[in-house]
Amino acid sequence: MSFQVILSQLASGMLLTISIFVLTLLFSMPLGFFVAFGRMANNKVIRFLTQLYISVMRGTPLMLQLMVVYFFPWYLFHISLGSFWRFPAIILGFTINYAAYFAEIYRSGIEAIPKGQYEAAKLLGYTKAQTFLRIILPQVIKIILPAVTNEVITLVKDTSLAYTLSCIEMFSVAKQIAAAETSMLPFAVAALFYYLFNLLVSLGMNRLEKKMSYY
Amino acid sequence: MNYLEMNHVRKSFGDLEVLKDISLTVQQGEVISIIGPSGSGKSTLLRCATLLETMDEGTLSYLGQAAVTMEQGHSVYAKPAELDAIKQCFGLVFQSFHLFPHYSVLKNLIDAPIHVQKRPKEEATQEAMELLEQMGLADKANAYPHQLSGGQQQRVAIARALARKPEVLFFDEPTSALDPELTGEVLKVIKQLAEANMTMIIVTHEMEFARKVSDRILFMDKGYVVLEGTPETVFQSDNERMREFLGKLQKE
Amino acid sequence: MKKKILSLVGLFTGCLLLLSGCGAKGDENNFVVGFDAEYPPYGYMDDNGEYTGFDLELAEAICEMEGWTLVKQPIVWDNKDNELNSGSIDCIWSGFTIDGREDDYAWSDPYVDNSQVIVVSASANIHSLADLEGKTVGVQTASAALSVLEDPDQQRSLADTFKKLQEFGDYNTAFAELEAGSVDAIAMDIGVAQYQIESRDNGNFIILDEHLNSEQYGIGFALDNTQLRDTVNADLHKLKENGTFDTLAEKYGLSDMVCLE
Repeated sequence: MSFQVILSQLASGMLLTISIFVLTLLFSMPLGFFVAFGRMANNKVIRFLTQLYISVMRGTPLMLQLMVVYFFPWYLFHISLGSFWRFPAIILGFTINYAAYFAEIYRSGIEAIPKGQYEAAKLLGYTKAQTFLRIILPQVIKIILPAVTNEVITLVKDTSLAYTLSCIEMFSVAKQIAAAETSMLPFAVAALFYYLFNLLVSLGMNRLEKKMSYY
Repeated sequence: MNYLEMNHVRKSFGDLEVLKDISLTVQQGEVISIIGPSGSGKSTLLRCATLLETMDEGTLSYLGQAAVTMEQGHSVYAKPAELDAIKQCFGLVFQSFHLFPHYSVLKNLIDAPIHVQKRPKEEATQEAMELLEQMGLADKANAYPHQLSGGQQQRVAIARALARKPEVLFFDEPTSALDPELTGEVLKVIKQLAEANMTMIIVTHEMEFARKVSDRILFMDKGYVVLEGTPETVFQSDNERMREFLGKLQKE
Repeated sequence: MKKKILSLVGLFTGCLLLLSGCGAKGDENNFVVGFDAEYPPYGYMDDNGEYTGFDLELAEAICEMEGWTLVKQPIVWDNKDNELNSGSIDCIWSGFTIDGREDDYAWSDPYVDNSQVIVVSASANIHSLADLEGKTVGVQTASAALSVLEDPDQQRSLADTFKKLQEFGDYNTAFAELEAGSVDAIAMDIGVAQYQIESRDNGNFIILDEHLNSEQYGIGFALDNTQLRDTVNADLHKLKENGTFDTLAEKYGLSDMVCLE
């Protein structure tokens, strides 16, 4: 296999890796807010359920969760979704896992906002939604940005776990080429890909942090 | 018409009764100072009046509009929509300012008028600039709170409360979080407001200031209003607890 | 804001469309073959980045006869049963050992006779199975070689003399470990062993003359899917008759091992 073919194969895997990455963030970041609200809810049942959800998601391997999501329709209901279910299952698995982590980060950020901010907003007549969106959220984002960056970088590397469900993302491609070529070179190229990807991610997040540092 | 009327207010935190049958009536343009040792219930009274705490018993009304009524021995709050309207009547200046750190000084002033009161942006901005001018902070309009001194921040907080054009303004120990050399600039602003006939209720430890600026003074201790009257009658009273309180302050 | 949401939704749909590569459509006419893409010469990625191999070319030939579309679905070997049972794949066709799994799948006739062998470093002083005493032996997770070594009726007693039975995920890693000396020997199928040694072409590895066992490869279908099994099995025999089977066996250097009658 020529180096060019190796690169183009890895690039096609990279496309899949990036898609998993983008879609997971797209869904898990907003979902995390709902989980965080559930975690802080006054209702005991809701609080308990979200706490349980978070502890299961954080306490079991992501690889196992992916397998459960992909295979449970068959083992529980004997519904055969076939290969069509493969990609949605991966996104669903990653999303529910990352939402749990994001929820805890959001919660820490929300709880770090002084009570006085809420009281000042209440006195000025802001509604609850306005208070959250205009006053609390912008401050929360600044606080949680470093923790979110960590999580996002972890996600870039975690995408390789999609191979569990036989999704041929970049790392699986590298493994297959390595097997066919009996060579370690594809792994080096894959490592470089991941590194550059994460370099871009951290550069982007750093810019965002700088932008937020006006106060 | 009474601008503020509170009757027979009681409030407990668990087993601890913090307010024991407090009544307070404030007329237009009156300046009331509430003094007393810490733990006497002054701040809780203020928080009940501004709807930050719910009272257990008693009534509350602003300009004749009832916010809290009594039914079968318990306080009952008006509907949220009515409370929202009543909230427009008053403002509160906190001990530790609670400015919004991510907004500039100007935006701190105009955000609520624009997004809560739905006033035109240009009008709100113009009025905010006039308020900042009064506070001597016109040049800080585009600064962020963390770039200001404590005294400047508190003056911004006062301007923010005034920007909503309240009928009654509350102050919760407005100078307690400030370095002594910065209290003067804030007290001066409050004095200006008193001269402009603003209706104000001030919880404070600044006795000299309270004596000069107030029409009436309430001395609270252990959840009761112990003394109430003009500054002269309260400060010259031979009430034992009042003398004890003043004595302690002088020692400090 | 609306525009932003719209463009996000657009991005999402675009991604989904792009990703049909990750899962095949549930088309009636598809023949989905599950295989280990790291298992040359039966299934692997060729010089053009396409999946190929002896098994996949046979599957291709059968699809041509039947008018099916072949879907080559690489699978994680550990998950092969889940994939088959849940209907994600129609069969496992990947140098798949029948022996020991006779009752677990609906099998085609055996088409390759394959032995489990031991590969060692040429320079190591290991010449027989007995020499493996106290050595570290590598074996692929969930592979036929592993089950031979764990089966008390087969080579369990031999495995007990090893210092350690080291499991690994793919053969490339295993050979790297053998080269580095962190394992002393690797147990695997003879066909894979020959391919690995030939492609490395450095004379560093040899296959022990003594074999662990002898066994056969077949195509595995879900137990209740005998209808598809029968069709494919009949087609396999037709390929044998028209010579395609032997041509492919020669192409992949498996002529000595094929056993379809």
